[in-house]
Amino acid sequence: MRDVAIIGVGYCPVFVSKRNDVSIPEMISEAVWSAYRNCGLTPEDMDAFTFGNMHTFEGVNMPHLWSADHITALGKPIMRIATGGTTGMSAFHCAYYHVASGLYDTVMTVTFEKHSEGDAQVGLAGIITPEIMTMLSLGIDLTGGSGMCGLGGGSAGGISFQATSYLHRSGAGIEHIDAQAALERRNAAKNPYAHLKDPECTAEKIAATPMVSYPIRFGHICPTTDGATVCILASAEKAAKVADKAAWIHAVANCTSDPTTGNLIEGLITDPAEQMSCQIAAKKAYERAGIEDPKKEIDLVEIYNGFAHQTLMYLEKLGLCEAGEAHRMLERGETEIDGRLPVNASGGVVSTNSIGTSALNRVTECALQIMGKAEGGHQVPKKVRKALAHGWGGLMQYNTVTILGDAPLKR
Amino acid sequence: MEGLMGSYFTPAVPMDFGYNYRLGAYLERYLDGLKEKKILGVRCSGCGKVLVPPRMYCGGCRLRLEEWVELGTEGELVEFTVGHVSMSKGRLSQAEPFTIGLVRPDGAALPLLARIRGADPAALRPGMRMRAVWDPDAENEYLVLSHYEPA
Repeated sequence: MRDVAIIGVGYCPVFVSKRNDVSIPEMISEAVWSAYRNCGLTPEDMDAFTFGNMHTFEGVNMPHLWSADHITALGKPIMRIATGGTTGMSAFHCAYYHVASGLYDTVMTVTFEKHSEGDAQVGLAGIITPEIMTMLSLGIDLTGGSGMCGLGGGSAGGISFQATSYLHRSGAGIEHIDAQAALERRNAAKNPYAHLKDPECTAEKIAATPMVSYPIRFGHICPTTDGATVCILASAEKAAKVADKAAWIHAVANCTSDPTTGNLIEGLITDPAEQMSCQIAAKKAYERAGIEDPKKEIDLVEIYNGFAHQTLMYLEKLGLCEAGEAHRMLERGETEIDGRLPVNASGGVVSTNSIGTSALNRVTECALQIMGKAEGGHQVPKKVRKALAHGWGGLMQYNTVTILGDAPLKR
Repeated sequence: MEGLMGSYFTPAVPMDFGYNYRLGAYLERYLDGLKEKKILGVRCSGCGKVLVPPRMYCGGCRLRLEEWVELGTEGELVEFTVGHVSMSKGRLSQAEPFTIGLVRPDGAALPLLARIRGADPAALRPGMRMRAVWDPDAENEYLVLSHYEPA
């Protein structure tokens, strides 16, 4: 396998609730041209494309083909990938395979979501259809189009069991979820590409938001965002020729558990917060990256957290601290932008969620931190040598992990 | 069916379209059991776990499951939540708070998702004993196992 580098990142200018001024392909093109500008490449440099967005949310059947001209892909190889919340990172992994295999030298990953033009709840009601079958058999009446809300509040209802289990097992309290959400909204205020920004946010302010599905409050939940993100990957030879700065891909990994009862208990796993697939993917990624002690070797983390408790839970599941320690790290300020292990310096998914981009943004944020290019005051002061990006998606039972470094992996 | 609103193109999507999924042999037998107030599971010959609701394969052992087991109608509360929002035909609305729990029937490795009634949520704790409440006259067979209440 060949070494592969991230040499360019592009975002659309803003991530907001509604982009009224542009169509879907116009919005995507903003991120594409931003990526070209940021790394000095042109469409002639691009060998192939991978494309990610959530299925059903906009109701557009083939968005990658609709936007082919807007993303400079006409006449070139392209494939679209949709794995739920992890879509952006799966599309990125696919681009990595393209380059690592030797088939292509320079590949662009294009991702977007324009939530304001579709209906995420209707999308989710369709997406969880296999699970509705199971839930019907369990005696939960989901008829009448109540979808996941039969669980007590959309995906928040589905995730609440995970949150209660995390709280019971870790010793953390709902006040820690409040504090985590507040920290990320403050971080988001320093990120020009974040959506929900609140420089003065406090745990008390989050605690005052309405309860949606215990223990999940409104303030713990991600927004629906319009946005697009692009990432350019290149072989070592190409990177040496064209890039002044690069972040190197040390490992990619993904894993699924059982979706049959997946939203709630991950099939054979009876702890709703076990996230076995995250633990397996992380272990594989550490092996591939030659990391023996992630607690010491990882300098910065971006976690996929549609809900604020997940930042804390996944820190533990990824092996970046002991079980029950994450909320103590939060209390000690260790996960702040200037902390020992900055976590979601970007503001995380809980502050910005244009779903197709969300798992890719975890990777691009790690890459920008390594390259020292994070804008608007959220660049961490410490030197970042190794960073971990995490994605959570599927029917809640699927996880992806990417590990980046400031130099090619020593094999 | 469709039109231009301002600068938007707003096609109407016919939402009364229906899908048509077969439940499969395992869930059909499970539902037949509920009609007789029985909760059926299947035991894995590899790990010995009894899975409920029943399914054809044990994902962990990659074995086909053949041994049917009748489980207890009492069980243990694993986790619970209280919902404050409901949705009907794509519309969210505020709801009277309702409790949903994961209840592990005696003899099973997995919990069932079920409505919890007859209990103040503040008094619920993981590990509490629960019992099934049946509604033989339920409109749909999957609602015959109506809910669980503290035992």
